Amino acid sequence: MLDLIELAGLTSKKAKEELSLLNDQTGLDAFYAKYLSKKGEIRMLLSHMKEVVAEKKKEAGEAVNKAMGEVSAAYEQKRAKLETEKLAKRLEEEKIDITLPGRKLTTGRINPYYQIIDEVTDIFLEMGYEVVEGRDVETDHFNFELLNVPKDHPSRDMQDTFYISDELLLRTQTSAAQAHTMCERSANPRPIRMICPGKAYRRDDDDMTHSHQFAQIEGLVVDKNISIANLKATLELFVKKMFGEKREIRLRSSYFPFTEPSVEVDVSCFKCGGKGCATCKDTGWIEILGAGMVNPKVLQSCGYDPKQWSGFAFGVGVERVAMLRYGVDDIRRFYTNDTRFLKDYSGK
Amino acid sequence: MKVSYSWLSKLVDLSSTTPEQLADKFTFAGAEVEGISFLASGTNLTIGHILSCDAHPDSDHLHILQVDEGQYGVHQIVCGAPNARKGLKVIVAREGAKLPGGEIKPATIRGVASDGMCCSLLELGVDPKSLSDYQKSGIEELPVDAPIGTDDVLGYLGLNDAIIDLDLLPNRPDLYAINNVAREAACLLDKKVNIASPKDLPHVKEEFVVGSKTSKCPLFSARVYRNVKNGPSPKWLKDILLAEGLRSIDKIVDIGNYVMLLTGQPLNMYDLDKLEKKELIVRDDLQGEFLAMDGNSYNLVPGDLVVTSNGKVACLAGIMTADGAKIDENTRNIVVEAAYFDYASIRHTSNRIGLSSDSSSRFCKGINPHQSEYVQEVVAELLGSLCEVKESSATYAYDTLDHSPKLIKTSLRYLNGRLGTSFSEEEILSVLARDNMKLLEDENGNYTFQIPSFRIDMDGEADLSEEVIRILGYSNVVSKLPYSELALTGLTESQQKERDIKKFLLSSGISEVLTYTLVSKKDDEEFKILNKDEPYALLNPMSEDREVVRTNLMHSLLESLSYNVNHQNADVLFFESSDIDSPSYKGRHLAVALTGLVKEQGRLSAHAADFYDVKGLLEGIMDILGLGYNRIQVVPWSLGGEELHPGRSAEIVMGKKLLGYLGELHPLALKKYGLNNAAVMELDLSALLAMKVSPVKASIPAKFPYVTRDLAFLVNKEVTFEAIAKELKKADKLITSVEVFDIYTGKGIVPGKKSMAIKLTLLDETKTLTDAETEAAMKKAILTLATKFGAEIRG
Repeated sequence: MLDLIELAGLTSKKAKEELSLLNDQTGLDAFYAKYLSKKGEIRMLLSHMKEVVAEKKKEAGEAVNKAMGEVSAAYEQKRAKLETEKLAKRLEEEKIDITLPGRKLTTGRINPYYQIIDEVTDIFLEMGYEVVEGRDVETDHFNFELLNVPKDHPSRDMQDTFYISDELLLRTQTSAAQAHTMCERSANPRPIRMICPGKAYRRDDDDMTHSHQFAQIEGLVVDKNISIANLKATLELFVKKMFGEKREIRLRSSYFPFTEPSVEVDVSCFKCGGKGCATCKDTGWIEILGAGMVNPKVLQSCGYDPKQWSGFAFGVGVERVAMLRYGVDDIRRFYTNDTRFLKDYSGK
Repeated sequence: MKVSYSWLSKLVDLSSTTPEQLADKFTFAGAEVEGISFLASGTNLTIGHILSCDAHPDSDHLHILQVDEGQYGVHQIVCGAPNARKGLKVIVAREGAKLPGGEIKPATIRGVASDGMCCSLLELGVDPKSLSDYQKSGIEELPVDAPIGTDDVLGYLGLNDAIIDLDLLPNRPDLYAINNVAREAACLLDKKVNIASPKDLPHVKEEFVVGSKTSKCPLFSARVYRNVKNGPSPKWLKDILLAEGLRSIDKIVDIGNYVMLLTGQPLNMYDLDKLEKKELIVRDDLQGEFLAMDGNSYNLVPGDLVVTSNGKVACLAGIMTADGAKIDENTRNIVVEAAYFDYASIRHTSNRIGLSSDSSSRFCKGINPHQSEYVQEVVAELLGSLCEVKESSATYAYDTLDHSPKLIKTSLRYLNGRLGTSFSEEEILSVLARDNMKLLEDENGNYTFQIPSFRIDMDGEADLSEEVIRILGYSNVVSKLPYSELALTGLTESQQKERDIKKFLLSSGISEVLTYTLVSKKDDEEFKILNKDEPYALLNPMSEDREVVRTNLMHSLLESLSYNVNHQNADVLFFESSDIDSPSYKGRHLAVALTGLVKEQGRLSAHAADFYDVKGLLEGIMDILGLGYNRIQVVPWSLGGEELHPGRSAEIVMGKKLLGYLGELHPLALKKYGLNNAAVMELDLSALLAMKVSPVKASIPAKFPYVTRDLAFLVNKEVTFEAIAKELKKADKLITSVEVFDIYTGKGIVPGKKSMAIKLTLLDETKTLTDAETEAAMKKAILTLATKFGAEIRG
């Protein structure tokens, strides 16, 4: 008669040997069915219990349980090992070339011209200004007459103009929009804080530094008791925000028909910090803005009584700022749109 | 305006300053200095005497000179100038001399030692325009009495002057006169100006008549001088003219130029004996040929100001004397004119005939009309001292001008208020006094100032505020932000939406570009789809390429694409928004143009830009605008032409109004622009932005589950998805959404047909759908497909 105890030990040994040879899930499933399932060999050993003598029954039962425990543990171990191997294999198989380009819609790039316009606009929006763009085609009246540049005024030499008819022209400055705004509000005058970003045109031959088309951003503040001190503080704030906290400004006397007094505004060089470099032509200063107190004649002709109202105005050339800041060598690049020139210009 | 520092120093004490410091002061006070130049420069210069001149043994043009340099001894110099010869006095640049061209070092030239260099004036940096050909061809020949061994060669030559070049703005034409530059310098330096009163000649009786028959000449003055001895000018006068960049001609002409430079008043000189009659009358009603003293003929038209004598033109007023009335070497008796002509008239004539002169440019900029008698006296004094003239006629003058001084009232409060400063009364009054503003009245800080006659730019108290601060300096202004009431500002809704659209396009990979507004008339005919207006044409274009204001954007954008494709940039995705102005159209367009590949993962996942790329952009833009296909329709292209592909383009319409178009370029247009593929869109952005949008309502998610069913069928190729979706939604109210997920033509499909697979979503907002309800709805859908579109259901 077979010794059940011995048999249990042999079965366990045989099962573990078989298990050690397995290396896939199918084999493992078959192994489970063969040894560990309800009808598996180990459980089937229990069917021989009735043949075991009474005093050996306990020992035999323990032997079968021990075999069951050993084989189960080995099976679990093997199963876990196979699973780990399978996962590792899958991961290995799924490996990709991480150096290939990413999948995305590349962000469109912009002309630095728009970067400057947006930045300047945002600064003045934060200061509570409104934005009025005006139109490219203007009347002589709004472009010149209202801004204290009557016909045959010597300063018309300064801005040779593209005329469409005696009355119509391409605006030579965006201040024309300021005249429109003042006139529109003159029936019920109230304070104005506005900027006019936009295109302007002059009869210049296109070369590295001149363009018949260019952009300006002109600002206007009209209120009671506005002074040069207000203008200076506003421009300081703008310049620090635009070109950096450490920038300073200095004002030089100048002339524009629509302002009196008029100033040129120099900014301490944002490339060298004022020590002198190629950008500032070794002067430490860069001419950036034209500005001044609105000429009383302009207020008067636009319907704001200069006895009650005063104001300041300023203007900045968009391409000039972009050229200085980004080191653009030729103004025509802004209009050529070579894709190699366009990029994200938002960094300072 | 060129200002001779040495001339200026005779009119104002410059001992406490330098040209550079003075230039800075001018610049900050509003007369920008473009640069300071020196007539000549050079260190370690002296004057030498050539003791001997021998031919170089090893050269056919070099000389070996022994040069006596006085205190510096005798030196051997090898010299190549053809005019080097024994006995000549020459300029010597000694060892270590720094010249504009470099430093002089001892050298051995073809085996012969040379210690120094004999110089031409060119080598000292003198403007070649002021030198004769002979001077330019060799070394400078100095007078026999030139001081050997001197250290001040430039001083001896009258070339030690600094020239300050003022870039004057239109408000300061007064600074075209040295007198006034001296006044300005005196004011800025707080010195006294030293402008002497002229010593007039005794007057003698003459018969002469002046007059004006036009309001464009309100002032005309003339004097007659007899027995004027002409000849070369003295050195001091030549030096001043040289420094100012003018050539010396003869005494009479030089006096005219000198007085113009000094006073800013252009003068005209006539040969009295060449005048038809003893009269000068200004008229503007003549026409015909005019022979000017430059030898050229000009055609005059009515309106041109002329000075006539007995009806014959003696001078084109303010511009140039007639050939028949000019001063020449035989001139003995002269007439000197100082007049005031309307600057606009001078400018028109000067521009029309293309002739300008120092005189006309001064008239165009504006001159002081209140100093003609002073100017006449200065001329008289100079003619007396230089040309042996003993007497002058009285001044004959036609004068309708009001010469009463200009008065401006202001107050301490106004000046400080406008400047934002707190200057004391003393500071302000003293600075305005320095500036020649004469205080006439002072009533408790309310002032009346008399403005000096030369300041023709001053006409209000704002000008006085500028005078105060430009002289005291803007560094005295303490910054103070404006105080203002709060107001609602920021971008308007349209401006914000346009910004959002631009951001959307940028984040969709489209780059924002900038193109010129002006285009050629021919180019403006391209893509004239949205705005069919005639363009605004310039009266004075600079070239045919830029002669009209564009009426649409697409052509400019396609040109940018072409440019890039021609410069090896094949994949270009561009947009631009810009104002469009034409006689009956004021709008704003947005245009998109794509060529080459749209890359999603580099070239690994890329497709040629096509219709659906721009349509996707349109859909994004419509979302931002809050517009749906119920407001705007995209309908097949019906406009013909050779610009857009008829089968791959669409119009964007609202009712009958065309709001835009999108599509792929017509093969002929592709060829024209040199592109392989292009998908484009142009929108009337202003019209889209102006459309009213209904208030946004929340969409509440349905409470009950939806059911989806797929259908595949064959249908004629021409049947559009949109038509199918529309009919299916009408077929049963449970069908809430129709999506297409496959379109197939080709192998296995009958030609002329396409296989389409769609996904239907069925939903009842009020309850969970039963299978029976779903099946009933699907049956209706299938029936609709079969009856309306002849579809063959495949599954």
